[in-house]
Amino acid sequence: MTEGKEKVYRQLESNKLLQQIMFRYMLEGHAASEEHNLAWVTSGFPVEIPVAMGVGVSYPEQYGAVVGSQKVGPTVCGFAEDVGYSRELCSYARASIGAALKPEESPLEGLPRPQALLACNNICGTVLRWYDAISEITGAPVYLLDTPPLGDSQPEHHKEYVKAGVHSLIEFLGSTFNTELEEDKLHQTAGRSSTAIRLWTESLEACKSRPSPLNCADRFLAMAPVVSLRGTDYIIDFYEALLDEVKTRVKDGVGAIREERIRLLWDNIPPWFNIFRFFNGLAKKGVVFPADTYTHAWSGAIEGTDLIDSVASIYSNVYLNKGLDAKIDKMCQLIRDYDLDGFIMFSVRSCKRYSLGQLVSKEIVSERTGVPGVVIEGDMVDSRLFNESQIETRVEALLEMLL
Amino acid sequence: MRLVEDLGIGIDVGSTTTKGVLLRNGGAVLASALVPTGRSASDAVDRVLEEIRRSHGHDLGGTPMISTGYGRKQVELSNKSVTEITCHSIGVHTLNPDIKTLIDVGGQDSKVIRIGSNGRPEDFELNDKCSAGTGRFLEVMARVLEVSIDELGPLALQSTSPCSISSTCTVFAESEVIGHIGSGMTPADIAAGIHISMASKITSLARRVGVLEPVCVTGGVALNPAFRKFLSQNLTVPLWISETPQLTGAIGAAILALRQETQTSQ
Repeated sequence: MTEGKEKVYRQLESNKLLQQIMFRYMLEGHAASEEHNLAWVTSGFPVEIPVAMGVGVSYPEQYGAVVGSQKVGPTVCGFAEDVGYSRELCSYARASIGAALKPEESPLEGLPRPQALLACNNICGTVLRWYDAISEITGAPVYLLDTPPLGDSQPEHHKEYVKAGVHSLIEFLGSTFNTELEEDKLHQTAGRSSTAIRLWTESLEACKSRPSPLNCADRFLAMAPVVSLRGTDYIIDFYEALLDEVKTRVKDGVGAIREERIRLLWDNIPPWFNIFRFFNGLAKKGVVFPADTYTHAWSGAIEGTDLIDSVASIYSNVYLNKGLDAKIDKMCQLIRDYDLDGFIMFSVRSCKRYSLGQLVSKEIVSERTGVPGVVIEGDMVDSRLFNESQIETRVEALLEMLL
Repeated sequence: MRLVEDLGIGIDVGSTTTKGVLLRNGGAVLASALVPTGRSASDAVDRVLEEIRRSHGHDLGGTPMISTGYGRKQVELSNKSVTEITCHSIGVHTLNPDIKTLIDVGGQDSKVIRIGSNGRPEDFELNDKCSAGTGRFLEVMARVLEVSIDELGPLALQSTSPCSISSTCTVFAESEVIGHIGSGMTPADIAAGIHISMASKITSLARRVGVLEPVCVTGGVALNPAFRKFLSQNLTVPLWISETPQLTGAIGAAILALRQETQTSQ
């Protein structure tokens, strides 16, 4: 492959389809808003329910990633800071509050205006106050699906509590959007969601191959539909195309990067404003990331005869809603299954829930797996918190330990 | 005539000082230099190289060179740059192969490294986000107490009743020191409190990596006797200090330059 010899990083053909899908997602969000039929949802929300009830959805966290990628995090977060929000507040929250306050000065003119705000606290506790703040600006009511943090397993009373919350959500959506949940539609939506998740998981697992067919940045881009558009039919075409491409790479022995020398695990959300520079810079040194904890988080399929029961189980058991032990187990498992040489933990200033306990986890993961790791500090959207030369020293020192 | 492959140069461009070492194969330091980094890292490197050249008395053109430190990429003449974490580890291992834990306290950062049996780092932690626990902390406090940085350690050792400085943050600790001055505490007791606070900050960093004996301290702050005393008390271990703790990173870089030369000439 002549192109492989010239480029450090190999672009995916399926990215073109991805761009089309995300453009369609944006247009549909605006159309739904104009029809007074749009809800904003958090990334860990059981979106299959509003989708099955015909409610359009938009994701502020995905919008935060757009703000970060366009390198305007400090500006848009600054609009929220100007009215008193602390710099310590999550930068996804600041980006969406800032854009809601000044849409005309924000990327894509902000997210389309919502008629309801659906928050699930399985990813963090900030979402409730964040959506309350958006509610004050937009007037849209907030629905909180409460999923208390879990230990090793989900007790029956916990599941019953969450199920009651899902039933109450259905009532809330019914009265807010004048709609109802039809059993058939929920089955169809859950089926499409499960198909997309299965295809996505298969692509992720293909990265166990050497060389890895996907790098971190590939997965961070390709995850957008499975986060934002679960339950829709048109994302299935994309995940089929991606899987075909991944399988072809594996069959031909073609890796995501030109020369794979070191395989690392990535923990946490990426620095969206620096994603290509960071991962492609490491690719030049032969570093690939066949696995990460973030894109593996959307892996639970809604299945079985009692779908509400499945929703209560899957969405309570998400990665961030479990204790530190579960996170450590997951990292050790990924390091072993993907045959990784070390790991980088990104301590994200914004995301306390994800970053809490990383220093302790680092020691335990290293001890259990026998591979070294390093913690670097920064943020996913707010580039003011990213000191490139300090991060470079830490990462280079890790690589020197491995080479 | 000199044999180029028998010599190696290590340059450590630190935030406060730039250090250079000319090493002979076998470990003998033939020449060394230390200058303030100031506002231009490349000027500081030029001055260090000129001093080494003058002291050695021979042209050094073609001598393998490795650079390290925060300004390592500013050294045009170096064959390669290597992080200060690896270079300090290699440097200490060369000087004392028994050392298992290295604590380096520089001008504006501090680091703790667990050294493997091959002299390479096995694990490390860095404090480089703020000046707490670095030489800068002591510089600020020395200025408040109107003594030079070299006098601060000996002053602290005269203390009979060290005062308490609860904050490790440079800015807040400075306010506390001013408060203690106002309440009539002696400069020696305040200076002792300052060193105890600094030692406690470094102790928590060290415990994150794990303190395996023997332990070594490097960097300019290792020259401060009060810091060594309180750190040793806090960690409850004796500390090994080389004769030239500031040159450790440069020595490690010079060793790597020599090894690189050996590898390429084979």
